[in-house]
Amino acid sequence: MNSFLIPSGAASASTREKQGERMKTSATAPGDQPTIVSLSKVGKSFGSLRVLKGIDLQVQRSEVVCLIGPSGSGKSTLLRSMAFLEEYDEGEIRIEGQLLGWQDTDRGRRRAPQSQINQVRRNVGMVFQQFNLWPHMTALGNVCEALRRVRKLSADEANRRGMAMLEKVGLAQKANAYPAQLSGGQQQRVAIARALAMEPHIMLFDEPTSALDPELVGEVLQVMKTLAKEGMTMVVVTHEMGFAAQVADSVIFLDQGEVVARGTPQQIFHNAEQPRLQQFLQNYLDRNAFWQDGKQ
Amino acid sequence: MFDWPLLQQNAPLLLGALWVTLQVSIAALAIGFVIGIVVGSLRLSPIPLLRRLGGAYIFVFRGIPLLVQLLFIYYFLPRIGLPNVSPTVAAIIGLSLAAGAYTAEIMRGGFLAIPGGQLEAAGLLGLSASQMLIRIRVPQAVRLTLPALVNEMILLIKASSLVSVVGLADLTRTAQNLAASDYMFVQDYLMLAGFYCLINIPLAYCGSLLERRLKEQTA
Amino acid sequence: MTFDPTIITDHLGDIGSGFLVTLGTWSSGVVLGIALGMLIAVAQVFGNRLVRAPLRVFIELIRSTPFLVQLFLVYYGGPSFGLSLDPIPAGILGLGVYGSVYFAEIFRSGFESVARGQLEAADCLGITRLQCIWRIQVPQMLVIILPALVNMITVLCKETAVLSIITIPELTMVLTGIGSETFAFVETLLMLCIGYLILVEACSRLGMLLETRVGRFMNKQPR
Repeated sequence: MNSFLIPSGAASASTREKQGERMKTSATAPGDQPTIVSLSKVGKSFGSLRVLKGIDLQVQRSEVVCLIGPSGSGKSTLLRSMAFLEEYDEGEIRIEGQLLGWQDTDRGRRRAPQSQINQVRRNVGMVFQQFNLWPHMTALGNVCEALRRVRKLSADEANRRGMAMLEKVGLAQKANAYPAQLSGGQQQRVAIARALAMEPHIMLFDEPTSALDPELVGEVLQVMKTLAKEGMTMVVVTHEMGFAAQVADSVIFLDQGEVVARGTPQQIFHNAEQPRLQQFLQNYLDRNAFWQDGKQ
Repeated sequence: MFDWPLLQQNAPLLLGALWVTLQVSIAALAIGFVIGIVVGSLRLSPIPLLRRLGGAYIFVFRGIPLLVQLLFIYYFLPRIGLPNVSPTVAAIIGLSLAAGAYTAEIMRGGFLAIPGGQLEAAGLLGLSASQMLIRIRVPQAVRLTLPALVNEMILLIKASSLVSVVGLADLTRTAQNLAASDYMFVQDYLMLAGFYCLINIPLAYCGSLLERRLKEQTA
Repeated sequence: MTFDPTIITDHLGDIGSGFLVTLGTWSSGVVLGIALGMLIAVAQVFGNRLVRAPLRVFIELIRSTPFLVQLFLVYYGGPSFGLSLDPIPAGILGLGVYGSVYFAEIFRSGFESVARGQLEAADCLGITRLQCIWRIQVPQMLVIILPALVNMITVLCKETAVLSIITIPELTMVLTGIGSETFAFVETLLMLCIGYLILVEACSRLGMLLETRVGRFMNKQPR
């Protein structure tokens, strides 16, 4: 039913390539932990509305996980919780074994001090739907800012690293341009470079292409595919099913705050069993395969 | 630190002076409001000369400190043949002229914010320009700018503290006199501050209530 | 009414020093006001409830009372608290405290005008709050709040006239003094008016110049 989403042979090919290459050296070694992020019974409510219900999730090193689901399913909230941009109410989120955001004291659970939160998530990089570049700094300025303020690198060292990152996303020639002078796709690539510059062990992408004009989506997805090939651990919330089908190791379908299905792209897109997942995929097809007459 | 009997003795005097301050401020707001409508309309006139005139008025009366304006009134009214003007009148004139300049900008903003359709409809129905002004534009502009006008009232009450310069025994002047005779500076001036707060804080509260209501209505 | 310009030229020295006192108290008051105002704004936006509540009271008090009354409290009331200041320092302190409250409101709205997403990105990258304020929020909000800042600075210029009431020898006091001595009210008051109009106009022109130059970095969020 959904076979056209997966070009033949592409899935297995990308997995092979990924396992061949090593990740570049990072400021802090990833360590022996195979599990980069683990979520256990994570819940979140906004007032009386329960947005996340008992989420269990593990992301292994070099794994690419795509979160899909209808709007309101909680996928963005889940992703943002992994960076503690949303404070989850229940359960635990651990980054490389360390508890994120909370401290267990004898008086119960308390919000950890900011320094501790920063310490736990220093190896987490995030890319936002709205790019969130700082408009008063150049592209290079954006990329280097954290290198200088947080990693305390010298200007020269930061510039070197920054330029290397911009080259990696193909924007070295735009180093001195301001965000207002860049297209959406370029801005998002700068945002990716900015997050990469900090050498994270895991990259979180919150609908990175949803705010882009269709013709600019490709260049961003290309950068993300390259990252995946190099072995970066990635969690991507996306509506780009083609990307999920080609690049993901696992696809997780979220609906109404729960994990409804998890599996390889083959399992999710070819052999969807859960009715909610089937409905979601059918809606997607209807919206995107409009040139076809009727259903397959 | 506080001499309570003295405080009780002084309070009624200050209360009376508060009344003077309020009278002068309210009168100045009323007259300043009218001036503001006139000057605000001038600023929106299609005739460049009238616009310049309005602009000049605002420039002068907003650019020169109020204290200097009051001094001007004090020294010049006798010279242009009005030597026996009471301090109250002098104070009101001085405050009104300044209030007019600030109100003009407020009213100009209010006039501009009226949806054009209302004026078109009025015109089609045959209303004259002055009828439109009084019956439609002013009421609408006031409704839209009420928070700013309340704020202007607060500013006027505070500005009125300077009118002692034209000889008027307002709240501040009275407190000064009291302090000069009993040397209880902290007490007298804190009481003075208290009286101003008594009026201005409720006014400010009303202003923000109005502002919130306005936001809800136009949202 | 006769107009005798020699009154002005005879006393040029005094007028000049009065002008300098005006400029000095004005600029010092502005600097103090902006520094204090920034502190208050940061405390209001980022501080906890224990800090915000007394600040709110302080702000309301300053905004509800006339500047003159605050000056009196500082200059005449100060000694009772061990704060015996000369007129000029008292004037600068009064001006600074008075202005700080209004600057704080301006800065506060400036902080809130920077899109939250940018702060989140900074937060994720590990940039501390202080660094975020200084490197990301302040540069951007300066553009937005510049008109309000210039306006407030102009207001403070006019308030320096009030300083004459506590015997600070600034422009108003000097010129009215000359006027009283020589009975040349027309000339001196006219000079006084022109003096302030020049200051006010210069201030707003400078402000407009700054606005256009800084406007290069105008906030343009992605669509």
